[in-house]
Amino acid sequence: MTLSAVARTAPAPAGSRRARRRSARRIPPSVLLSVLVLIVVVAWSVAPGLFTSQDPVNGIPADLFRPPSAAHWFGTDQIGRDVFSRVVHGTASSVTSALVAVAIGLVVGGLIGLLSGFLGGIVDATLARFVDVLLAIPSFLMAVVVVSALGFETINAAIATGVSAVAVFARVMRSEVLKTRSAVFVEAALVLGGSRWHVLLRHVLPNASRSVLQLAVLQFGLSILTIASLAFLGYGDPPPASDWGLLVSIGKDYPLAPWLVWAPAFVTILTVLSLNRISRWLRKTA
Amino acid sequence: MAPQDRLTTTTLTRHPLPAPGVAPTDGPHPAALLRVEGLSVAYGGDEVVSGVGFTVAAGASLALIGESGSGKSTIARALLRLLPAGVGRASGRVEFDGREVLGLPERHFRPLRGRTLGFVPQDPNSSLNPVRTIGMQAQEAARLVEGIDAGERTDLVLETFAQVGLTDPRRAYDAYPHELSGGMLQRVLIGLAVLPRPSLLVADEPTSALDVTIQKRILDLLSGLRESLGISLLLITHDLAIAAERAESLIVLKDGVVQEAGPTASVFARPTSAYARQLHADVPALNPDRYADLRAVGATRAADPSTPVKIEVRGVTKTFGTDGNRITAVNGVSFAVPAGTTHALVGESGSGKTTAIRLLLGLEQPDVGRIVVAGEELHGRSHASLRGVRRHLQLVYQNPFTSLDPTWRVERLVREPLDRFAIGDKRERSQLVRAALESVGLGEHLLSRKPSALSGGQRQRVAIARALVVRPDVIVLDEPTSALDVSVQADIVDVLLRLQAELGLTYVFVSHDLALVRQLAHTVSVMERGRIVEHGTVTQIFDDPQEQYTRTLLDSIPVGAGSAS
Amino acid sequence: MADRVGNRGYVTYALRRAAQAVVVILLAYVLTFVVISVLPGDPVTTTLRNPQSGFTEEQIARIVSYYGLDQPVLVQLWHSLSRFLTGDLGVSLRTNLPVSHLVAEVVPSTLVLAASALAIAVVLAFTIAFGVQYLPRPFGPALRAFPSLFLSVPTFLIGLLLIQLFSFQLGLFRVIDSDSGLATFFAALTLGIFVSAQIAEVLIANLDQEARQEYAGVARSRGLGQVQLLLRHLLKPSALPVVTVLALMVGEVLGGSVITEAIFGRAGVGSLVQRSVSTQDLPVLQAVVTLAAVVFVVVNLVADLVYPLLDPRVRLLAGQRRSTARPEPGVPEPGVAAR
Repeated sequence: MTLSAVARTAPAPAGSRRARRRSARRIPPSVLLSVLVLIVVVAWSVAPGLFTSQDPVNGIPADLFRPPSAAHWFGTDQIGRDVFSRVVHGTASSVTSALVAVAIGLVVGGLIGLLSGFLGGIVDATLARFVDVLLAIPSFLMAVVVVSALGFETINAAIATGVSAVAVFARVMRSEVLKTRSAVFVEAALVLGGSRWHVLLRHVLPNASRSVLQLAVLQFGLSILTIASLAFLGYGDPPPASDWGLLVSIGKDYPLAPWLVWAPAFVTILTVLSLNRISRWLRKTA
Repeated sequence: MAPQDRLTTTTLTRHPLPAPGVAPTDGPHPAALLRVEGLSVAYGGDEVVSGVGFTVAAGASLALIGESGSGKSTIARALLRLLPAGVGRASGRVEFDGREVLGLPERHFRPLRGRTLGFVPQDPNSSLNPVRTIGMQAQEAARLVEGIDAGERTDLVLETFAQVGLTDPRRAYDAYPHELSGGMLQRVLIGLAVLPRPSLLVADEPTSALDVTIQKRILDLLSGLRESLGISLLLITHDLAIAAERAESLIVLKDGVVQEAGPTASVFARPTSAYARQLHADVPALNPDRYADLRAVGATRAADPSTPVKIEVRGVTKTFGTDGNRITAVNGVSFAVPAGTTHALVGESGSGKTTAIRLLLGLEQPDVGRIVVAGEELHGRSHASLRGVRRHLQLVYQNPFTSLDPTWRVERLVREPLDRFAIGDKRERSQLVRAALESVGLGEHLLSRKPSALSGGQRQRVAIARALVVRPDVIVLDEPTSALDVSVQADIVDVLLRLQAELGLTYVFVSHDLALVRQLAHTVSVMERGRIVEHGTVTQIFDDPQEQYTRTLLDSIPVGAGSAS
Repeated sequence: MADRVGNRGYVTYALRRAAQAVVVILLAYVLTFVVISVLPGDPVTTTLRNPQSGFTEEQIARIVSYYGLDQPVLVQLWHSLSRFLTGDLGVSLRTNLPVSHLVAEVVPSTLVLAASALAIAVVLAFTIAFGVQYLPRPFGPALRAFPSLFLSVPTFLIGLLLIQLFSFQLGLFRVIDSDSGLATFFAALTLGIFVSAQIAEVLIANLDQEARQEYAGVARSRGLGQVQLLLRHLLKPSALPVVTVLALMVGEVLGGSVITEAIFGRAGVGSLVQRSVSTQDLPVLQAVVTLAAVVFVVVNLVADLVYPLLDPRVRLLAGQRRSTARPEPGVPEPGVAAR
């Protein structure tokens, strides 16, 4: 028996299918690199002390505005603090707040989408309007309003970002659930005596999770950017906190020391780019 | 595992129509229009076509036959140089009218497409741009004809549409593709291909997406045009019988390698290669009595009046839709199936056969009528008691690529019904799963695979094992082999019949393929537009059809012209 | 006959969508009100009692009772909503001017910015997508990385970069002089790049998908060249979903204006939001957010109503489901988070 035996439904020749499957199993180098970047970022946030011994809060007055060098990889700032150390120590806050945002969006949005798609009818109609409302308020405005209601702290910025992401998760989850719910194998499970809950937990959720996972990774990156933007506007923790967005915001006031902007910006872009790459890869291999 | 070939050609009850494609032409063909030598095609690093060579003379017809993965469609695309860019690489020699074309720059090759090389695609429903009218797309073909103005182009298109049998050419011209049926679209596509009068027409499975009666009409159209316009035909098909009926010579392909080639008469009637012989044996239309021994077990039961009736469907009607737009999918359908036999529901798409079995499984509620399975009324039951009945009533779906959850492993898939019906303890379940897999001929090494790591035939066996594992009395089979290659189909049919003989299972077998039905069923209901138009034993229906529709269906079975003697 | 059924279906569909839009706008108002009302502390009286505001205790008491600020939240909501329905957006707590007046002052500037940003985004997106399809190796494939890159760069950074380069280094425009055409262009570019990335992603994915469709190969078998294939066949089905995506992007642009206007020092809706947040001017915040929701909902309503007229496949289905006018599930969902 050959690889596959569809006479009608498979226009692609077996060869290309085989090739595609093989390439799916092999992880492309750019994805490996992205994973590596994320490992470093996570390590920075878990144990910043391992990567830099310089003080992120108190500067050395003799070392103002030193450009990047072997001693100070990312240079020093206006009060002589090592920028690399500031970036590394700001990682934990930037990354965990994005995680909180994704978790809120994933749990709340996912639940809404799941109930909406699975129960249908009046539940779906009601929740759909609610999601429409969340979608109608531009997400960044929503985040600004929520963070101003809760108070200007990074954790509140994270909650605000999470709330603004609920609608996207709800929509993707709903469409995935609808797609799976109408799948033939779900009807087959019902014929085989499965209950609705069995179908929901064992068939619908596992099949929907792939797309939602891919979205979560993408939203992780976007959340980092949103939280950085809120910090840039001053809606996060105040200095001496060193969230990436805050670092850029402070650095922009010293145009003669461009590394104050570029160092945290570079780390942000690299992290988000890596997350986008992984998300794309997950989508392609789904 | 395939049974011994039964190559002694069988006597067919009706004589095949003379096929125009094989009508003798005047003497041997003079010059080769298309000469292919050592053609190889690779996708990435995988070679899917290896060293294929053949010639097509001017005005001649050649069929490439093979199952999925044989490389037949790849060859068609390589000839038209339409392989996916950057992925597919073709090497070898392709001469068209004595001119090597494989190495030509795209710029020089492009004028050949459409003008000298016409293409008829496989699935008409996806072969026209859905957001442009058919007329706009037809103009592209008309523009290939030189020396005519815009008005003449439109006339030419309409004229061609009439020529390919579209009754209202103007309407087709103005329509969007989704407004026409598959058969009509295929006529349009054939029209567009022949309009610029190419010298060679490449038809890639031109009828495999169509109903059987339409399939025959489209093939007749192709043969007729070929003859009247003197176009050579390269027909690509998985169906040996169609190939034999429509082409003068055949090439049998497997895994990208030519297995056998020659004039139709010799390849079809006296295949020398093992694969061609196997292929011949696996085509149901050519071997109606292949499973006679196994089928006889059920036939005895069917003939015995004391055999209890397992399924009784009486006067069932089901209507869908709301006021303005009601469709009666099933209309007053009745049939009964004796225990341990196979009843076939036969019909084309839209005949109501799928709705009928959904009613039978309790997935839909009938408006009127009753259904009794194993003495138990099926409808008006609570969910819980319906579950009890379902244990004895299982379903195998048409497409094994969608009916198995892609995230589950084989072991869990087959065990699912045991878990749901809480049958046995953990150890017993595991044994039952293994036993069920063994009975459909699958080894234990597949237990931990996911469906994506199985072939189509293996998936369908898993689906059957899943239906079997709860020891049901009745299995409903909804076109269980229509998504599979004939050789795989033969294996599946063999498994099904053995299980029936051993376990006394009752089957309801839904199919559009009358030849297959003849091989395995005992009684038949022919459905058309929601009604059963004819009902009887296999012998009655096939040897002495009463209704015109049944006769049309029977006439549509390709059997390979003149070979059944 | 089919057309008549289609038209009746379309009218029903349009009416239902319009009704939904009204409901969504009202709910958006309510939601904003609720979020703002959970604000800790009592910023209203804090603002009023600020010595600089110069209100007497008596005046404050009158204002508080005039606005019903001493009433329970639900009652306040009821009053606020009924005023909103008569078109009254209330009075700014900071300036004591009618909110409608304040908003009307800044709307034109932001409208110009948002429209230019969307226009730039569309042009950029189509340029990238066509480049991906038709530039020779390695340029075409390399362009594929652009949307992903654009999506990874914070908007504020793009703004800072553009200002640094074109204002400080090249002196093409002055940031303070926000009304100049060039300043507006660079602000719109800042805002448009993120949006262009999302549109380009959809467009590239659609063009790839359409090029793989059976009909594309069949059209080539009729002798069509790559360019004809793109223009006659692939472009329309690929670009149609962009209508929907573009409508969704209106939200991105409105949200993004907060950052862009802050960086470029422009007076607009975004900077009004920022000012209202820092001064806790709740009526203004409420009005701006509601207004943004109205714009978003109306634009998306129009897009949903126009879509079935553009795509023959959904014309007959229009009456049945809203989702038919949405991009296919295979199309990447635009990430909705803004910066």
